[in-house]
Amino acid sequence: MAAIIEVDKLTKSYGGKRGINDVSFQVAEGEVFGFLGPNGAGKTTTIRILMALIRADGGSAKIAGFDCWNQSIDIKRLIGYVPGEPSLDPTLTGGQIIEYFSNLRGGVDKAYVKRLIDVFDLDTSKKFRQYSTGNKRKVVIIQALMHKPRVLILDEPTSGLDPLNQQTFEGLVHEASKEGRTVFLSSHVLSEVEKMCDRVGIIREGKLVRVGGVHELTDIKRFEVTITFAEPVSPEAFERLEGVASVQKLDAASGLRIEMQGSADAVIKEAARYKVVSLTSYEPSLEDVFLKYYEGDGQAPAKEPANV
Amino acid sequence: MFNSIFLKTLRDYRIAILGWGIGMGLTIISPMASVAALISTPEQRATLAVLAAQFSWNAAPIKADTVGGYATWKIGIFIFLVCVWPLLAASRTLRGEEDRGSLDVLLSLPRSRARVAIEKVAALWVALILIGLITGVMAYLGGLAFKAEFGIVDGLWFGLDLTLICMVFGGLALLISQFTHERGPAAGATGGLLVFFIALDMVHRVIPNTDWVSQLSPIYYYNLSKPLVPSYGVSVEGFVVQIVLAVVLTAAGVWFFVRRDAGDVVKVPFIPVRAARTSHALPVGDLSLRSFYARSLGMIGWATFWWTILIAGFAAFMVVVVEQMVNTLNQLINSGNNAHLLEIIKRIAGGSAGLDALFLGAMFQILPILLMAFAVTQVNRWRADEDDGRLEIILATPQSRVGVILGRFAALATATIVIGLITLAVSYVAARQTGVNLDWTRLAEASLGMVPLGLFIAAVGYLAAGWLKTAADTGLLSFLLAAWFFLSFVAPDLNWPEFALRLSPFYYYGAPLLNGLDYGHLALLVGVGIVALGLGVLRFSRKDIAV
Repeated sequence: MAAIIEVDKLTKSYGGKRGINDVSFQVAEGEVFGFLGPNGAGKTTTIRILMALIRADGGSAKIAGFDCWNQSIDIKRLIGYVPGEPSLDPTLTGGQIIEYFSNLRGGVDKAYVKRLIDVFDLDTSKKFRQYSTGNKRKVVIIQALMHKPRVLILDEPTSGLDPLNQQTFEGLVHEASKEGRTVFLSSHVLSEVEKMCDRVGIIREGKLVRVGGVHELTDIKRFEVTITFAEPVSPEAFERLEGVASVQKLDAASGLRIEMQGSADAVIKEAARYKVVSLTSYEPSLEDVFLKYYEGDGQAPAKEPANV
Repeated sequence: MFNSIFLKTLRDYRIAILGWGIGMGLTIISPMASVAALISTPEQRATLAVLAAQFSWNAAPIKADTVGGYATWKIGIFIFLVCVWPLLAASRTLRGEEDRGSLDVLLSLPRSRARVAIEKVAALWVALILIGLITGVMAYLGGLAFKAEFGIVDGLWFGLDLTLICMVFGGLALLISQFTHERGPAAGATGGLLVFFIALDMVHRVIPNTDWVSQLSPIYYYNLSKPLVPSYGVSVEGFVVQIVLAVVLTAAGVWFFVRRDAGDVVKVPFIPVRAARTSHALPVGDLSLRSFYARSLGMIGWATFWWTILIAGFAAFMVVVVEQMVNTLNQLINSGNNAHLLEIIKRIAGGSAGLDALFLGAMFQILPILLMAFAVTQVNRWRADEDDGRLEIILATPQSRVGVILGRFAALATATIVIGLITLAVSYVAARQTGVNLDWTRLAEASLGMVPLGLFIAAVGYLAAGWLKTAADTGLLSFLLAAWFFLSFVAPDLNWPEFALRLSPFYYYGAPLLNGLDYGHLALLVGVGIVALGLGVLRFSRKDIAV
């Protein structure tokens, strides 16, 4: 499918360590793309460049073929946006804010807006400053979704929403995806990304370190096999086998924890030479993969983005 | 400076302490600079004293033929400007922190609520004392420069008197803010009461035997002390009443704060609380939500309303009182031995015409300053919207950046034009009712001619907002306003060269009620304003938003 978001060697510096450096990725039309990274990694900077709120120092960013800076108005006709820290006029009611933004956008289906208000159960009569964090987030999500945009750009959209409303939000993202609309979202909630996204990009210290399908990402990552033998077995027996990254002797003298990548065939065959009491395989979640990318610098994988 | 809430809050006020201290100091020095030219002969001194007596509504004209007496009399009405910062700061002290959501964190510290409030209020009071100190020292230095008769102790008493009246209105704003959900209405209501109390204080100087009415105003007790007036001194009664008022109002504010819910208001007995009712409806037919321009206009609606009352009300008041003053002055002129009177009036007013127009000409020169102050507040709001991230979602809609900045500027332009038109209409009606003889064309030029000045400073502010944050932008504009005021109203008496006087926009406004507008001058001002706005638009369309 053709790419609707094209980011090529995007660079933005604020001086010091902040900003992004040579970030490149593409998002296909209809895809739900998750953008992961810790605070200050460069997620919001990337999103704000896509939204033409800040200008890149180098590289290019395009949405639907339009340059994000030079043709921003064309792009904004296609986009719904939820900023990371939503701030709206505190003196307007939720209803007034939604009405105001529907007027600024034009062509909004009022029946759909009503449906969104109903599914989020938003009290539109309260002033924005009176809303709880979650309700403020609902107002901002509704204004982003109400015109059924071709592309949704969402910066940590569920932050502050309760689990029930998170589920509602996930449903709306699935609905958008089914209708062929594109969703680009940043998040810290990895289980949410696993559930919602087709592909994921991981950014660290301004550099994109990984881009891949959610399932591919978990497939290629290392996994662990823990084998308990009836008698103590030397780790050396497994260390040189194909696919074995490391072997660790467990406190219980007859157990081994083997970190692996790729096929487990050689390990299973070697283990079969001994009397095995139990064998468990642990497949790490995306969360574990994510954490692995953010553990100490020395243990981090290659910094060049790797597509899988 | 981060060791306590008190020190942190005091640190937040450091720029304001310097800015307002120096600003208030310059305000008192300005008339000292100009009085020297008015009292060079005994005849002129006598005439000035007579003239000042006609303006007693402004301030009691005590020894107005001395440097200290003239300065005290001249700054009478300026007490309004002096009290603006304390009431804004006090309404921001607790309610403003709640607006921003930062008070919850502060209240989670192992400190009592009362202590948090007292530390913050104490920092504000210390800031006001420091502002008063700077003002007092500057008044003394100004007195030294212009050979005044008062000393350093008198200067410090003057600063203390200002500090006390500021504390009274700061305490009032703090108390009122316990009853409002936002700081804006608290500041607005306190500002309204300030104007009311200033007017109440004027009553006893205009209508005989009405001291009891003016004694209801805190301003009355501020005016009891006149330390800069030779051998007048200070009033212990005035000081005590102000201290008691400040303490009682502040204590009441803190008392209510300690007892109410954080983020809520004090529940007023007998006022029923509206039952909460959930609604999923959208507003219908709200014109202010139709476009960015309409919303911008809606946002500044209330501010425009209050500033219109201030500016148009001041103009109407001047028109109403001018008849009474002119009659008295005509009697004085006709009684002889007052040859210098007309000359002094012309010097103050800046032109030659009938007495009606001369007086109003002098007074109407204050109106553009007020309109420009209004424009500065709106530039502040524009930049604050960017700093607070409120432009982010607006700019995510298919609105061009040029459209957004020009939409906001157009709303401000509309507001200033409305203020100008209402000022014209109210002045016209007041003059018709009181039979004041005015040239209507020139009245229209004076009322509407101030609009370009308001928009000029706004354009400069929009340009500077491309680089400066809210506080720095507002500080720059306030400085420019003060500098322009100095160039147009003080520098001529100091015989500054013509090219320096031309640096002030007031030069291009002139005295339209007396001489008409110079349209060449006005076109030049508008041209420079358009260039500034154009550059501001260019900068805004290319800059990173709120970085």
